Amino acid sequence: MTRGTKSQATNPRPTRRETQHTLRPSSTRHVAWPTRETRRRGAATLLAAAALLLAGTTTAGANGDAARAAVRATTTDVLAVLADQELDTAARRQHVENIVFASLDFTTVSRLVLARNWRRFSEAQQAEFIEEFKSHLSRTYGRNIDNYSDQRIEIASDRAEARGDWTVRTRVVRPSADAILVDYRLRAINGTWKIIDIIVEGVSLIANFRSQFQEILANHDPAHLLKLLRDKNLTSEPIAAG
Amino acid sequence: MPASARTTLFRIAIIAAMVGLLFSTGSATAASDGSGWEDASARDPMERVNRSFFWFNDKLDTYTLAPVARGWDWLAPKPLQRSITNFFANLRFPVNMVNNVLQGKFGGGAITTGRFVVNSTIGLAGLFDPAAEWGMAPQPEDFGQTLGRWGTPPGAYLVVPLLGPLNVRDGGGMVVDWGLSVVPFVVNGWILMGGGALSTVNTRAGVLQEVDDAKAASLDYYVFVRNAYFQRRQALIRDLDVDEPTTTEEDLYDDSWNEEPGD
Repeated sequence: MTRGTKSQATNPRPTRRETQHTLRPSSTRHVAWPTRETRRRGAATLLAAAALLLAGTTTAGANGDAARAAVRATTTDVLAVLADQELDTAARRQHVENIVFASLDFTTVSRLVLARNWRRFSEAQQAEFIEEFKSHLSRTYGRNIDNYSDQRIEIASDRAEARGDWTVRTRVVRPSADAILVDYRLRAINGTWKIIDIIVEGVSLIANFRSQFQEILANHDPAHLLKLLRDKNLTSEPIAAG
Repeated sequence: MPASARTTLFRIAIIAAMVGLLFSTGSATAASDGSGWEDASARDPMERVNRSFFWFNDKLDTYTLAPVARGWDWLAPKPLQRSITNFFANLRFPVNMVNNVLQGKFGGGAITTGRFVVNSTIGLAGLFDPAAEWGMAPQPEDFGQTLGRWGTPPGAYLVVPLLGPLNVRDGGGMVVDWGLSVVPFVVNGWILMGGGALSTVNTRAGVLQEVDDAKAASLDYYVFVRNAYFQRRQALIRDLDVDEPTTTEEDLYDDSWNEEPGD
């Protein structure tokens, strides 16, 4: 979490979309989704979707009922943060980002993303990779958080996966475009459910990055990949405002 | 003639697809790191050619399509953009209908027909989508998906100039779908061309942020797109919203080899 502070400040840059839409109350209008689970609504962000699921939820083991209950409890908490009119966008975003950082297991994500190539990294390189990759994700996913303010999130369903993993499926409903399907894959790590993959419209973040890293590492050594990540992070727009 | 221009475009697609087929039968090998997870998205025997076409498409987009789309996005209110998207989606009725049926999805075919009737009339020629609000959600299917559903593998990855990412299966599917759509044969060529341009710009305007994000989020944008295209098509073939465990991708989430010192 050494880099957490960097991303806690916010990007004040107003966007056209933000000025167009205010936080809107939920509506059931275009929902044609057969939910058997309780539908949660409210203005939220893509990152909030991650937060909805997991923050600080613990369970004794990889038990589906416990996971579901935990997800529901967390959902309520985060929706409360999002609906809190006392908070401005920046404060709300910071809350959400903190929760997301706590919800993702970056070590597992890094291991899965590098797969067998993980072994080619020295311990120091592994640690650096985890930090740089975390920073990369935070920069690229956090930079448009303003644009998600007019969206709301519905938990569609959930299901058990192999290895005791759990998938929770959500829909991000947007006012002037089709809804986006976002699935979260969870794993109980040391008794805590953590997000280990985000699958947007069927595209897994893990698989996508693994494909990129594999192609790079097929021709280069870990040091080269780390340098690419470092350079990318240096040149990409920082989230911190000051 | 605009119609012939469009035909030429599809000829290029067919030729590219055939070339891809030739290559794919010979040397298609997927990259693997030996972890049990095979990166099927990396079946790309023409990578060098593809990368150069990809570069060409990207430059063309950056300097022509994207700026126009940005202007359009600034000019056109969101509801108008939405209506234009709806309008062109409604025109895909024959393609959606036939492919639903070909996949044995008769319910989907019925809903597709219902959508077309409702949206073409009450929805003012497809500009609005009241059908979706009445419980008839869109059921888009194309021939590439139909082939995939019946077991046709994607084949080699292709980047086609002006068209973008494809694979052999979906390229062939695109040609069939084009034959299915009545519109090109009954509508005046200029209208067709204008419509195509409007649809392209409007679609691009809808993903301005997404494309920027993708470029920022990737270390190798070419591989990012190749993999995203592959995953997306596979997901569409098995229908995104079917609620079953993702057994075929299970090895993706296996990191048990990490603890084993040997193999």
